[in-house]
Amino acid sequence: MIIKHQEKIASPEVIQRQFEALGYICSPSVATAIYLACHLQKPILIEGPPGVGKTELAKITAAYLNAPLIRMQCYEGLDESKALYEWKYGKQLLYTQVLKEQLGDVLRGARGLDESIARLHNFGDIFYSQDFLEPRPLLQALQSEEGAVLLVDEIDKADQEFEAFLLELLSDYQVSIPEIGTVKARSTPIVMLTSNNTRELGDALKRRCLHLYIPFPDTELESRILAAQVDNLDAQLREQIVALIAKLRDMPLKKSPAVSETIDWARALLLLNVEELDPHWVKETLNLLLKFQDDIELVEPEITNLLKGLA
Amino acid sequence: MRFIADFIGALREAGLPISPAESLDAIKAIELLGLESRATAKSVLALTLVKRQQDQATYHELFELYFANIENAKDSDDDDTLESPAATDKQQSQRQDQENAEAKGGSTATASSVLGQSLAQQEDMALAIAQAAKAEDLSSIVFFTQKNHFAYKIMQRLGGDELSAELRAKPGSPEQKRLQDQLAQARARLLEQVKDYVEQQYLIFARHKGVKFREDHLQQAKLSQLEHTDYALMQRLVQKAARKLATQHSRRRLTRKRGQLDVRKTLAANAAFDGALFHTRWKATRVERPKIMVICDVSGSVSRVARFLLLFLYSLQDVIPKVRSFVFASDMIEVTSLLQQEDIESALEKIMQRWGGLSTDYGKALAGFQEQALTSIDKKTTVILLGDARNNEGDGRTDIWQKVYRQSKRVLWLNPEQRNSWDTGDSIMSEYSPWCSSVEPCRNLKDIEGIFSRILKYS
Repeated sequence: MIIKHQEKIASPEVIQRQFEALGYICSPSVATAIYLACHLQKPILIEGPPGVGKTELAKITAAYLNAPLIRMQCYEGLDESKALYEWKYGKQLLYTQVLKEQLGDVLRGARGLDESIARLHNFGDIFYSQDFLEPRPLLQALQSEEGAVLLVDEIDKADQEFEAFLLELLSDYQVSIPEIGTVKARSTPIVMLTSNNTRELGDALKRRCLHLYIPFPDTELESRILAAQVDNLDAQLREQIVALIAKLRDMPLKKSPAVSETIDWARALLLLNVEELDPHWVKETLNLLLKFQDDIELVEPEITNLLKGLA
Repeated sequence: MRFIADFIGALREAGLPISPAESLDAIKAIELLGLESRATAKSVLALTLVKRQQDQATYHELFELYFANIENAKDSDDDDTLESPAATDKQQSQRQDQENAEAKGGSTATASSVLGQSLAQQEDMALAIAQAAKAEDLSSIVFFTQKNHFAYKIMQRLGGDELSAELRAKPGSPEQKRLQDQLAQARARLLEQVKDYVEQQYLIFARHKGVKFREDHLQQAKLSQLEHTDYALMQRLVQKAARKLATQHSRRRLTRKRGQLDVRKTLAANAAFDGALFHTRWKATRVERPKIMVICDVSGSVSRVARFLLLFLYSLQDVIPKVRSFVFASDMIEVTSLLQQEDIESALEKIMQRWGGLSTDYGKALAGFQEQALTSIDKKTTVILLGDARNNEGDGRTDIWQKVYRQSKRVLWLNPEQRNSWDTGDSIMSEYSPWCSSVEPCRNLKDIEGIFSRILKYS
């Protein structure tokens, strides 16, 4: 894509700092990934547990580069008519109606079948042409003049066929539409794919992408994220929250609390005017952190123990 | 860029699938960001080369090993070029020593062999060692027992033989004697250096190769002879093979989901287009998953094969969810629920302990099977029996097996013995084989994989 301000992507450090200013705190490897994606023009495949900011990364990148974010959510049964393009059937039908009426004028005075056919050939055929093409997210991303950030969200939810269909787009930034031909990108978009690992992605796809794994952040990074995301949060409470979350993640839970849940929880505590973590409030708000009854039952009796170590 | 290429080679040896395209990406990325910062280099290479979660740990370990090596080499380079004051002092004092010696003896003793000369001048040998190692193809090292061999070979290539000859020669003068002593010491130091280098290269290239070597070996190994110590590795292999099959076949089924054209729905969907059929509507076909009943003989030597057969089957649960399992020695016991409730490994352990190792009675076991399960066998069921058909001279109740064959879609008999020992001794394989769709030997992991691959293909 055309990046108007090259200095914005001068080095991974610059990216990391600027992201921070925008409120997205990330590790150096995330910044390096964005840097390489811009310079090598390669898609990034982002993996990691839910709620660590995979989708957010795409949003922030788009905002940072002043590019439109085109988002495509994947699901089972997603096909090219929903992802790439669709013909405007209604308009095409109308076109044939109009054509019928015009046909009389075109063929007037033609002698014999051969001449009629020849005239028909000379008559422009736009039934399958850009005019009747309804672009869907992928095509929109390719057609955008100044580039875009294309986010293919949760690619693991789509079928394997769709994954194969994406390969041409990812390696050459072009797609084939049988009726028209190959459509090349006007300017290469920055492509990000996210996956929650519900199934193993194909090797062909992985080979074409940079592979970024975002793990749960360590306590220091998470504390900084909280500071950036939740205003007016007392520093001591913040440290307590982060430490408790880290402990919870070590427990054998069905679903560990993610960063987004930490943020929600911190906001809730702030709203409730909690100044210090105590067993009562933790118990009351535990359902914000843990989304399975089994997990809640496992953690609840341990709360006092967990809190002891924090003070 | 040599570093990167070698490093990629080491990663490949450790089992990471890295394509040439990915290598090129890595090199391009490194050109952009350089190797100066180790942390950046690490994340750059991880981004471009490591695409599977399970490879992260291997990558981390190899990176640390490999780049520690490079940094050492760089450090010594720096010493050479910058000539730190200490080093210059040392050289000066040496020169003085030499001059003194010359002044005293009137004649200098110089080393005659090439290696001796470089050692006497205290050259840095790291590069020479690396080159010699390359020439000797050190990266092909597989076993730790080869380490000394390679160290010896590298010493030879560096010119060790000549040096030894020189050291063995009778010293003509006291200076020469002193030189010989110095050289002997230097040689010992060099040998240490070479050994260190070999050790490190072994860590980088061979340790994972050893595992791969054993894995290849285990795939072919007779399951009935398997050592207990290999169980863990074998289990991993079984699961790996099962995963492979599962992904292959889940994909194939998806393409078959669409059934015939649903005319009624299609017409309704296209009413808006004046009856022209733009959108098609299809009837979904019911996806038929194979129904499998597996019966395992768990007596004596068959029990080990049974263990891995069951493990394989249960690792395939994504594609074959409906499995009923039975085990028998003399009594037929259904273990389906046990296998579902518990962790597969501990369940298998329990089964083998409780029922394994008893003497076999096929007649009694089949009678039990008739009672428990014969009615639920239908034309969609595949029945798999694993057993050596050694019936201790009892009645084999082939009549029951005949019924099973008639009612089911297919009957597979897997025999853990090789073909030419069937029907020897008390084996009554030939009595059952007319009532089987096929009888196959099942002796190692490759066999099991092949069998399930066929079941999935034709179901």
